[in-house]
Amino acid sequence: MPHDASQFSVDERELQSRRAFFELTDDDLRRLAALRPFAERHLDDITEAFYELLLGHLETRRFFPDEATVRRVKAMQRQYFLGLFDGRCDLAYAQNRLRVGAAHERIGMAPKWYIGAYRRYLGLILDRVFEEVGDPAEARAAYQSVQKLVAFDMSLALDSYIDANLQTLGRHQAAIRELSTPVIRVHDQVLLLPLIGTIDSQRAEQVMEAVLMRITEEKAEVIIIDIAGVPVVDTEVADHLLKTTAAVRLLGARTILTGITAQVARTIIQLGVDISAMPTRARLADGIELALSIVGKTIAPKAV
Amino acid sequence: MGLRVLDAVELPIRYEANIAEVRRSARSLAQSRGFDSFATAALTTAASELARNVWVHGGGGSAVVEDLSDGQRSGVRMTFRDSGPGMSQADLERALAGGFSTARSLGLGLSGTRRLVDEFAVDTRPGEGTVVVITKWTRF
Amino acid sequence: MGGPIPILKVGPNLLTTIHVELTDSIAEVFQQDVLRAIERTGAGGLVIDISVLEEVDTYVARVLADTGRMAALMGTRSVLVGMRPEVAATLVRMGYGMEGVETALDVDRGIARLASPRGDR
Repeated sequence: MPHDASQFSVDERELQSRRAFFELTDDDLRRLAALRPFAERHLDDITEAFYELLLGHLETRRFFPDEATVRRVKAMQRQYFLGLFDGRCDLAYAQNRLRVGAAHERIGMAPKWYIGAYRRYLGLILDRVFEEVGDPAEARAAYQSVQKLVAFDMSLALDSYIDANLQTLGRHQAAIRELSTPVIRVHDQVLLLPLIGTIDSQRAEQVMEAVLMRITEEKAEVIIIDIAGVPVVDTEVADHLLKTTAAVRLLGARTILTGITAQVARTIIQLGVDISAMPTRARLADGIELALSIVGKTIAPKAV
Repeated sequence: MGLRVLDAVELPIRYEANIAEVRRSARSLAQSRGFDSFATAALTTAASELARNVWVHGGGGSAVVEDLSDGQRSGVRMTFRDSGPGMSQADLERALAGGFSTARSLGLGLSGTRRLVDEFAVDTRPGEGTVVVITKWTRF
Repeated sequence: MGGPIPILKVGPNLLTTIHVELTDSIAEVFQQDVLRAIERTGAGGLVIDISVLEEVDTYVARVLADTGRMAALMGTRSVLVGMRPEVAATLVRMGYGMEGVETALDVDRGIARLASPRGDR
């Protein structure tokens, strides 16, 4: 069973509040339950007509790549349709409807398609209710009840779709963050972060967070941050580096700054930035040697 | 699409235990709206600071937690209200500049808290209590 | 031992794990318990484990730093261990670097740190 991305759920209070707003009463549910025979009679033709729309439209047809998918989805749709006439609207029912939205987000089906599909449903049901239920007042009442429950279902599906969407985006953000901040493990307990490109505040935040996560994951004692690839080192960049270093220290690890060019060394002192708290080196290689010595290692020539 | 308030909850801040409740409410909302762990921690810490201020210096008050949406991002807005002594403009400016150094002074943590959130507003007058409104959005 | 936060003797050191919310009353009792334990055991080191804490605001940070300072007055060196990335990032963003408080990644590293002379790093 694929992982359900949406964490949106309803509790009893939310369920009652939503039902009240959609004016979905126990009378409506009773009326719907009474229509069950009607629903069973029309299950096949409504399902077929419903899928005529989805399969007949180019952009929605791609969600049904093969016969097996069509059969499977039709079976689920029939269950869904009959569920409308169960005469209940409790937490279990709501949870079930929430899964619809999450499922649509997972396959990438945009809200416009399933809102359109719900509209089709209502159209098909409207025609048949007015054909079959003789008394116009009764037919109207029956249709109102259907419409309320379908709208209610749609609201839940949309909420969970939106929530699943946000979760997916959150994961993408995390992935992007990973890619743009490549933290390398150069040795046991020693990490290296070669910073390349400009560092604005947003990137600086991402860098700090990625660094802190990796240090915790790897239980690293030292992280070397190499800034040779950062074109401009001004007070802001220096500030970001100091913040990151302070946070690394709070974790219990240490930072070594390398890649300090002649230009950068002048700029930092002239700006009056105090980075005396952390060891710094011009060359990355020197930083690595220092890091290794901190963790009790040394690079020695092989015995001949 | 403009700003929408999807839901709002008001929590009293009368006892020290209420601070944790405010924090938990902020945490649960932030997590359900897809805030990552760093953003969640920033928001809940800000909530903790401000709730504590209300309890310690404001003589009690309330926190309103709102679930926001601007059409693209989710947000959490929190309004902390107390009817304590309030602050003069001069005191407020000093607090926001991070000037207070004594451990128990009112306003300690205000300047730090401001850096944890996206929007920050303080309305306070001596003798009229204090209202602090903070908002944090999911990053996009 | 008065409060809910346990304090254990581990070799020459004391180890305490903060697993509950630090309210005014609990913090007070905690500090008293720590200092009494130092008195009783003569422990040379104190490891404060905060790996369970999901957030640390300036109040809690102050309590922790103060505890370390109180222990230091009694001749005991303390190390704060296990701070979570989110907590560290938040404190630093607020401008709270907790300088003057020694830190280590976890309990093991904390104990190793206490075994090496101060200023070694």
